[in-house]
Amino acid sequence: MDPLILLIVSISNHLLLNSYLYSLVLIFSTLLFGRFFCGFICPLGTVIDLTELAGKLPSLKFRPELKNFKYLILLFLIISAILGVSFIYYFDPIVIFERSLLLIVFPVITFFFGFFTAEPSFAYVESLFAIIFLAIIIGLNFLTRRFWCQNICPLGGLFAFLSKFSLFRFVFDNKCKKCALCEKVCPTDAIDSKSERVDSSECILCLRCNYECPENIIRYKSKFLRPKFDIKRRELLLTTGSAMILAPLLRSTYHQRLEGRLIRPPGSIPEAEFLNRCLHCGRCMKICPTNGLQPCIFESGITGMWTPRLIPRIGACEKNCNMCGKVCPTSAIRNLSLEEKSYVKIGTAIIDRVRCIAWEQNKTCLICDEACQYNAINMVNETIQGVTLGRPYVDERICTGCGMCEYRCPVEGESAIRVYAIGEERRASGSYITEEKKKLRSCEEKEEDIPSGFIIE
Amino acid sequence: MERISRREFLKISAGFAVSLALPLKLSAEEKHKISGPLIGVARGEKNKLVKAAVDAIGGMDKFIKPGDRVLIKPNISFSANAECGATTSSEVIKQVVELCLDAGASKITIIDYPLANPDLCIERSGVRQAIVDKNRVNLLMLSKERQFVEIEVPDGKELKTVKIARELQKADKFINLPTAKSHSATGVSLGIKNLMGLIWDRSYLHRVDLHRAIAELGLIMKPDLTIVDATRVLTSGGPGGPGKTVILNTVIAGADMVAVDSYTVGISSWYNKSFTGKNVKYILYASELGLGEIDTEKMVIKEVKV
Repeated sequence: MDPLILLIVSISNHLLLNSYLYSLVLIFSTLLFGRFFCGFICPLGTVIDLTELAGKLPSLKFRPELKNFKYLILLFLIISAILGVSFIYYFDPIVIFERSLLLIVFPVITFFFGFFTAEPSFAYVESLFAIIFLAIIIGLNFLTRRFWCQNICPLGGLFAFLSKFSLFRFVFDNKCKKCALCEKVCPTDAIDSKSERVDSSECILCLRCNYECPENIIRYKSKFLRPKFDIKRRELLLTTGSAMILAPLLRSTYHQRLEGRLIRPPGSIPEAEFLNRCLHCGRCMKICPTNGLQPCIFESGITGMWTPRLIPRIGACEKNCNMCGKVCPTSAIRNLSLEEKSYVKIGTAIIDRVRCIAWEQNKTCLICDEACQYNAINMVNETIQGVTLGRPYVDERICTGCGMCEYRCPVEGESAIRVYAIGEERRASGSYITEEKKKLRSCEEKEEDIPSGFIIE
Repeated sequence: MERISRREFLKISAGFAVSLALPLKLSAEEKHKISGPLIGVARGEKNKLVKAAVDAIGGMDKFIKPGDRVLIKPNISFSANAECGATTSSEVIKQVVELCLDAGASKITIIDYPLANPDLCIERSGVRQAIVDKNRVNLLMLSKERQFVEIEVPDGKELKTVKIARELQKADKFINLPTAKSHSATGVSLGIKNLMGLIWDRSYLHRVDLHRAIAELGLIMKPDLTIVDATRVLTSGGPGGPGKTVILNTVIAGADMVAVDSYTVGISSWYNKSFTGKNVKYILYASELGLGEIDTEKMVIKEVKV
């Protein structure tokens, strides 16, 4: 329902994001009624309002005139989207709210829930930046009320722009006695009682003025006024310029080549498109039942912050689960059937024979073989220094990179079998299932070596 | 010297003969009874196997007293399909539960600490069907360290202390209910191996001598009754499958865990080869620790067809 996502993701991906077409409803209703979304629906706005309950800090005298800034950020997002780089996840309030829920609230709730029950609790490698980010947004509120909404939020900017044309708006309906009570209660500084004007692009229809006005003269009425724009040409040029510089500088082009362990969820579309499509909202990480999907910190660059990656040592990709693709709002992770998902290769497990206790220490260990969900690990009897013992080998043709072996490996610290994004399959369309893969998987009765647990006379 | 008549001589000599022979015969019988552990083996119709096997060794009343809290440990550790044989079949679990209830058990807990996703293990194994009485039967899938308690292993060489499931201490009776399957490290996975599903840090066992460590688990966990589900046997590809599954429709029961394991090794071929209990390291080590009888010759085996 977020028109900003529709706009930016559609532009940066050169396609129409069908699942977000519903948000056109919000565009039309904003053209009719004004910025009601900001006052009534926006969850981040609600959080910001709630912080006022915590008590009022003395409002600073410093009141920056930055109201145009939100339009400029919107412009910045659009231009960088045209250049094929998406920055939406730093600015969209819905995405910020969802991600904050995931990284800040969800781990705390599951911790206490798991404290009293046997339910698993979830934790993420990155919560600090999310807290700092949210704290800044809330903290700005003490500068002026709803500072974020008034000055920064590009979604607010989009709605503000549309509200300039809105059909219904608050107007001074009668002669005003200049008590300025309305100005005081207005959270977005939208009212100027001297000139008896309510700025419809700033008004979030919170109704406070309507309640407070002793004469009851501020009313919601249908009235069209000529829209006024006061953005300077210099500001526009500066924004365009900075977008054209920052977009090429900050995009993550080579990170996956550097970070061989950057494993994307199964069914992720090719990396370049993925980074544009992914909202960094964290829904996939929240739904992942093994907690294995974790937010990137800097592994995939500035534009890849909070994108999902599988960290098998924390949790593997369960064979019978395709939830990440199901919840992805923009299909950055494709919605695949269970069967199809089980054929997606997201990487390949590689045995570190120096760390492996079966290879290096002659220990009877088969845990990776036992854990493997696809029967891709074979125990082969090898004689090393006179000891014949089953040692693990990975069949890379069958291995999907789910990471169950890495998760369960008994070696302390870093696993002796690790998944790398080698041979990963990323398809924007088409099926992952091939006859060859099916054939490889169907050979169930493989010749197996006699386990070392038998004493053979 | 007083002469005796022929009749009297015959009488006396007959008496002597009887008195000599009788204790001989009695002792032979007595010796036969106590010479080895009793194993009940039932083959045939799936739904009657457990009762037949347990009846052959004296019936469930011998093991479960009215009011007992019973812990049943099946192997439902894998999310493989039930037919594969990597898990104890739900029909067998259900029959054990019903027998315990009939014997008057006050509370039954079916317990496991699964390797795969617990929800999937419950779903795939079909273990819910064994919860025949919601008030008295419950299912517990362990997942947290605090559900385990650390105890010392007396005379342990590989294991000094082990964290075992707390439930084990709360229960009056403990029934070990493994499935018979192959295992790519230990060869076979049976009763003693099944105990590994009640300890917290399983991976530690792989870092020491696995076979001896498994045997030493028998020092601290002593099931009152071991019932092996060999209705279908995963003879290769174990422990997780898939592999070669053979339908045997057999259930083996006994109080001596080592004897039950040792006998079960012989009922099937493993990896297309025949073995005895003495060929399996962890069973051999367990018998060396004095945990039970490994020699099938010394067991009293009662075979029943149903």
